[in-house]
Amino acid sequence: MDNGMENMLDMYLFETNSLLEQLDEVLLDAEKADTFTTDNVNEIFRIMHTIKGSSAMMEFSSLMTIAHRIEDLFFFIRENTIDSIDEEHKRELFDLMFFSTDMLRAEVEKLENNEPLTSNVDSFVEKVNSFLNKISNKTDDTTTSDDKKAENDEKTENSAVNLPEDGSGAFLKVTFDEGCGMENLRAFMLVTAVKDIYENLTFYPPDVETNPETSSIIIEKGFLLGFDTKETLDAALNTVQSSGNVQSYEVLMPPHVEKKEKEVATKEKKETDTQNVSVTPKVQAPAQQSSNANAMQHIGANKQSLISVNLSKLDKLMDLMGELVITESMVTSSPELQGLKLDSFTKSARQLKKLTGDLQDTVMSIRMIPVAGAFQKMNRIVRDMSKSLNKDVRLTIIGEDTEVDKTIVDSIGDPIMHMVRNSMDHGIEKTAEERVLAGKKAQGEIILSAEHTGNEVIITIQDDGQGADPAKILEKARRNGILTKPESEYSQKEVLALLMAPGFSTNEQVTEYSGRGVGMDVVKKNIEKIAGTVTITSELGKGMCTTMRIPLTMSIVDGMEVSVGKSIFTIPISNIQQSFKIMPEEIIYDAQGQEIVKRMDNFYPIIRVHRLYNIDTEITNLEDGIIIWVGEGDKSYCLFVDELIGEQQVVVKPLPSYLNSYNIKQSGIAGCTILGDGNISIILDITTLHHTANDYAY
Amino acid sequence: MTEDYNELDFEQSQALNVEIKEDPKKFLTFLSDGLTFAIDATNVGEIITNYPITMVPNVPSFIKGIINLRGQIIPIIDIRERMHKPPLYEIDTSCIIVLDINSTSIGIFVDAVSHVVDIYESNISPMPPNSSQELVKGMMSLTKEMVILFLDCELLLQ
Repeated sequence: MDNGMENMLDMYLFETNSLLEQLDEVLLDAEKADTFTTDNVNEIFRIMHTIKGSSAMMEFSSLMTIAHRIEDLFFFIRENTIDSIDEEHKRELFDLMFFSTDMLRAEVEKLENNEPLTSNVDSFVEKVNSFLNKISNKTDDTTTSDDKKAENDEKTENSAVNLPEDGSGAFLKVTFDEGCGMENLRAFMLVTAVKDIYENLTFYPPDVETNPETSSIIIEKGFLLGFDTKETLDAALNTVQSSGNVQSYEVLMPPHVEKKEKEVATKEKKETDTQNVSVTPKVQAPAQQSSNANAMQHIGANKQSLISVNLSKLDKLMDLMGELVITESMVTSSPELQGLKLDSFTKSARQLKKLTGDLQDTVMSIRMIPVAGAFQKMNRIVRDMSKSLNKDVRLTIIGEDTEVDKTIVDSIGDPIMHMVRNSMDHGIEKTAEERVLAGKKAQGEIILSAEHTGNEVIITIQDDGQGADPAKILEKARRNGILTKPESEYSQKEVLALLMAPGFSTNEQVTEYSGRGVGMDVVKKNIEKIAGTVTITSELGKGMCTTMRIPLTMSIVDGMEVSVGKSIFTIPISNIQQSFKIMPEEIIYDAQGQEIVKRMDNFYPIIRVHRLYNIDTEITNLEDGIIIWVGEGDKSYCLFVDELIGEQQVVVKPLPSYLNSYNIKQSGIAGCTILGDGNISIILDITTLHHTANDYAY
Repeated sequence: MTEDYNELDFEQSQALNVEIKEDPKKFLTFLSDGLTFAIDATNVGEIITNYPITMVPNVPSFIKGIINLRGQIIPIIDIRERMHKPPLYEIDTSCIIVLDINSTSIGIFVDAVSHVVDIYESNISPMPPNSSQELVKGMMSLTKEMVILFLDCELLLQ
């Protein structure tokens, strides 16, 4: 049972969170357009309705109340169309909506953290009510949905007066769920059901079966069922209660009957009254649930083919996949099989390899989700900060459908947010005039982009603000005592790296958004946790660009095994352009004695792996070993290794965390892998290897 | 008989009245460059021999490399080099002690493992001041000729 409850809560959180995300998107779209379209209004109404329903089911009253009030608000807007609200109120409405989504989110967060929910949301309810009053006064509408009870009472009065005189002794007024649609048909179904019990049923409007226009009458005035006596009505109540989409019903007595009854016994009348009162809440509950179930069904229709799975199960699956690949290569390349001619074995082995490959692709794709979720949240941050800092900034998002592993999406959220806040706060100039003076557009721009490059995903946050001033950074660093060498020795790159040093925060004052003393070092740490790297480039006056390179959880890569001395290295196949033998006359030397080779009309430096990593090997003549041309574009170069061993699929294992303190990630090593024979091979990271080689004095 | 036994027991507790309050702790002792070191046995995972060590480039020389211990990648430290002594080349008795320190696994390469001893922690004396000995948090003489140095596992990780 406990478990069931937990699953329910999980489902609830998942559903509510995704609804809130949807809501945010709708709101931001709407704000951009400066108005709510009918679709927007309906969407918000639906979202709030669902949140209200499921919160009520889970008994989270604060969430329910908030959602309920907004639902009421949008019910009103839907009835009166958005045009009835003037510009000023619209702006207020947007603020109110953002405020309320924040409140909902805060409550959901509390649920996630197992904290008690806010018990008192009166101030919020008050806010919505007063806003409702404001806009409803403007529209001169008599039927405000502000107070549903009042509205109901009013309607009751109206309908009580309008009860048809057909000799029926009692009426039942049925109200259907708001927005359930096809009310006339639902009414007709109800009639058929009740007729099983009571044949002489009369109902109004009478032509529900044939006239779809009666729907609107039913929505407005309710659907009336006429019975000859109160007793027959009571008998039919059960049927009415159990039919779908019935929100509430009321027992009404025609005036003449009522009068008679009054004369006969006032006591009985009281009873009817109490029944009238007591019935409604009783019915409200199941009706609520059925509407909730309806909402669920509605969602179900969209997401029928989706199931949610615990991430730890996927992790386990991934681990098993990795073990399977290792074991497969252990079996198929077992030394005991060397030199044997095993036709059918080879055939089956090939089949197995194909299957594991397919399986691996599928397993990997399960965990991939688009980064859009993390990116969309930034819209909101830019919007809020633009307002409070009074800066006009536009956020451009590129490549939001780039798919990355779920864990990556989860862990890049905070770093991206931090960087965007930084850009908003420190990057973009304080006033538009400053920007115009600097020859830029008045509106600032922050570009958030994601892209795949082979086996990593690159996320950049770029702003066209004032950029970082190296002199200021150095000064600040000196004051904070984090300089490790004389100032004059710092290169531009190193200066910018200081930004990410612990205990560095360039803003003089602590602001609401950034500069809480925990600076970019936290960003760096978070990204390093998922094995990524952060680099900052900046030009004074032109802006700043933060690049995060994060390896995909391509924890299985196709690699080329190469040997250098006794060591075995793996180079990801995707990085390899070509491998070739070299003739002595092909080698070109530059002034420093650096060996260079010409390939496809371009010159590439040769990096000797044995020299770079200080490995003893007998093969030191370039023509004795193998040259492997790796990398792309300006990061292209050649590696010199002893020999090629062969191609193999390997499972990337991270190096022990103990070694991380020796900056091993920066020296061209991506991780390691266990070979079929149990030995370890080190996987080279072509990009950082290039940097290391550059830093080397050849 | 019973009385005798009691008397003996009494005498013993008299002699050891300082230590009787605490339980002895188990320590694994090993040799490295002629010195005897001891390490808290609760930190010791296992002792392995003859494991192929894969060297890792661009790390301090005391890190001999990494090994594959049943799918787990474990870094290996040469305890001699870590203490700034000449490196040890593999000999018959040399082995790797796999330590589990705060859920981090690390292997130390030592000359030889000797045995497990019970030691009362209160008998361990602190290192004399001004000792430049790294990684050692205390010492104790076991017999007249033999002094045990106690390794600080946590420092080893830093």
